[in-house]
Amino acid sequence: MRSGRLRALEGISPVLAVCFGVIAGSVLIAAMGKNPVAVYGTMFRFCLGRADSIGAILFKTTPLVFSGLAVAVGQKAGILNIGIEGQYFIGSFLAALAGFGLKGLPGLIHLPLAIAAGMTGGLMWAAVPAYLKIRRGVHEVISTIMMNYIAFSLVHYMVADVFMDKAQMPIPGLGSPRVRTPLMPDSAMMPKLHGFLEMIGISLPKHTYVNWFLPLGLALVALMYFIIWRTSFGYEVRAVGQNARASEAAGIKPGAVTVRVFLLSGAIAGLVGLSDLLCYFGYLDIDFPKGYGFNGVAVALLGRGSPVGIVLASLLFAFLDRGAEGVQTFAGIPMETMVILQGVMILSILVFAEISSRYVRQVQRREAVRG
Amino acid sequence: MILSEMLASALRMGVPVLLAALGAIFSERSGVVNIGLEGMMVVGSFWGAFGSYVSGPGPGVLMAVAAGATLALLHAVVCVTFRVNQVVSGVALNILAYGVTRFASISLFKMATTSPHVDRFTAIDVPVLSEMPLLGPIFGGLSPVVILALVLVPVTNWVIQRTVFGLRLRSVGENPLGADTLGLNVPPLRFAGVLLSGMLAGLAGAYLAIEHTGMYVEGMTQGKGFIALAATIFGNWSPAGVMWASLLFGFAESLSFRVVEGSVVPYQFIKMIPYVLTLGVLSGVVRKVTPPAASGVPYERGG
Repeated sequence: MRSGRLRALEGISPVLAVCFGVIAGSVLIAAMGKNPVAVYGTMFRFCLGRADSIGAILFKTTPLVFSGLAVAVGQKAGILNIGIEGQYFIGSFLAALAGFGLKGLPGLIHLPLAIAAGMTGGLMWAAVPAYLKIRRGVHEVISTIMMNYIAFSLVHYMVADVFMDKAQMPIPGLGSPRVRTPLMPDSAMMPKLHGFLEMIGISLPKHTYVNWFLPLGLALVALMYFIIWRTSFGYEVRAVGQNARASEAAGIKPGAVTVRVFLLSGAIAGLVGLSDLLCYFGYLDIDFPKGYGFNGVAVALLGRGSPVGIVLASLLFAFLDRGAEGVQTFAGIPMETMVILQGVMILSILVFAEISSRYVRQVQRREAVRG
Repeated sequence: MILSEMLASALRMGVPVLLAALGAIFSERSGVVNIGLEGMMVVGSFWGAFGSYVSGPGPGVLMAVAAGATLALLHAVVCVTFRVNQVVSGVALNILAYGVTRFASISLFKMATTSPHVDRFTAIDVPVLSEMPLLGPIFGGLSPVVILALVLVPVTNWVIQRTVFGLRLRSVGENPLGADTLGLNVPPLRFAGVLLSGMLAGLAGAYLAIEHTGMYVEGMTQGKGFIALAATIFGNWSPAGVMWASLLFGFAESLSFRVVEGSVVPYQFIKMIPYVLTLGVLSGVVRKVTPPAASGVPYERGG
């Protein structure tokens, strides 16, 4: 009974944080001389009242699920991998390379190869900070940020100087060709979900891009949590995350576990950009979407590292993102209001979670004393 | 001649890192890791440009310092009062800073990513030194902020090592429980450390926008807040060490401008130099330096 109530208290902190964010957003909106209730109303109508918005939200959810999962998996071993950004840039580049570089393969081979290339890229980029962390004691927060900047420059060089598509048709009205890689054959592209959804009676407009990466992401979340909570490797990961020194005393090698989790987190990060790359763009250009990595940190924090939490937080941020487009167009509110709202949510979740877990611990201690 | 010109530009490039790193010294010596330095530089660069645009560089610097301090206050409340994980809080602050700045830029300049050109301070020629043959390029046409940053190096050292405040700051960063037992109040000292770091990071951002570029550009901090943290470690948490480390990073960056002119190496690789250097420096020194013992550890009374 008692512990049920305590768990409810811990579960309620994300809800409180969201409320706090909404209040902060209201203050901003009111400061701009608009009516917050009307603006939020517009947002809900725009997001939930149109089939293409639903599709867009699910499409925007996809990279966040991977990115949030990559951060959360790292956190289980006490790693704060904020280098998802660079890892998915390298992953996307290698996936693009496998996409346009290989020709004449059937889709059943080509697409998995491109995905594997993406994961390898993310893994490779995580290997450097992982090595620096356990061998050199460099904190991953600084090293991964440095790796992000190096990745941006490297991918820019690869796309603009080495693999730029010279054969592309000039776009009428645009003087110079676009700085992008060659297009990929269809065999490397991920099919959309439309066919499957129609079988169960849901039809989405053609110009939405929800694809099989979303179910893949959800399955990966489930798999990761099975590994972490039900396997011996997962037990080691949790032991290292909670107390590396105590885990060593129990015969676990914290260094080896840390490296493996870091690489795993990087491999998942390599998947972050693929939904955009292999379903929407079909090429990599120098304006490839940035920022999924940092949103992943936000998702993992708000989701409190739980599988359901990650999925819900991804949906929430995708909803806010889509809603931001709506209120910008229909209510004249800058999209950045929503970024602030996200920031406030993250800070408040940190504080609320800390307070509630402190309270829970206090109650438990008191009960233990009473016996 | 080229050498002294490069040293001059190393100094100019190194100053934002130096200012932020001096801030990091105050924060870390008090026991709080400040990953949010980057975000504090970002708000500093924006509000510095805005203040200078509205009423000149002086008010711009003041606004930037206030903006950095505001963000730092948030960090202090979250980390010191509520004892949240300091690294995580810093990461969240960086996200918040990005959103707030973009929002403010749209609201105030009607542009998301840049500001109009803004006024800068009158450059100063250091008397005597600026007329000497080799030192001329280094000491002529200096920004007052550069001079301020250089003056702050011995001042910071004096404050940390020789004043009562500095002694107390160090003691809560080394052994908060011991300091508490001796009657020191830990949270206000840690607040002071974090606030000072925010003010200096804000000043660093203002220097970038007002003095270095003459306008605000989104992303102009380029990870310098994180490089400043690396410089703090490389400089072993001492002001003089941090100064040499910042000059090294400034030199790497100025090098990248030199090499670009007619080079065989693609400029994207040149742009990587400061980041690769940071990784290299950190991997070489981290094990050999001694951070403040309680840096990064929240302090809870009777906990």
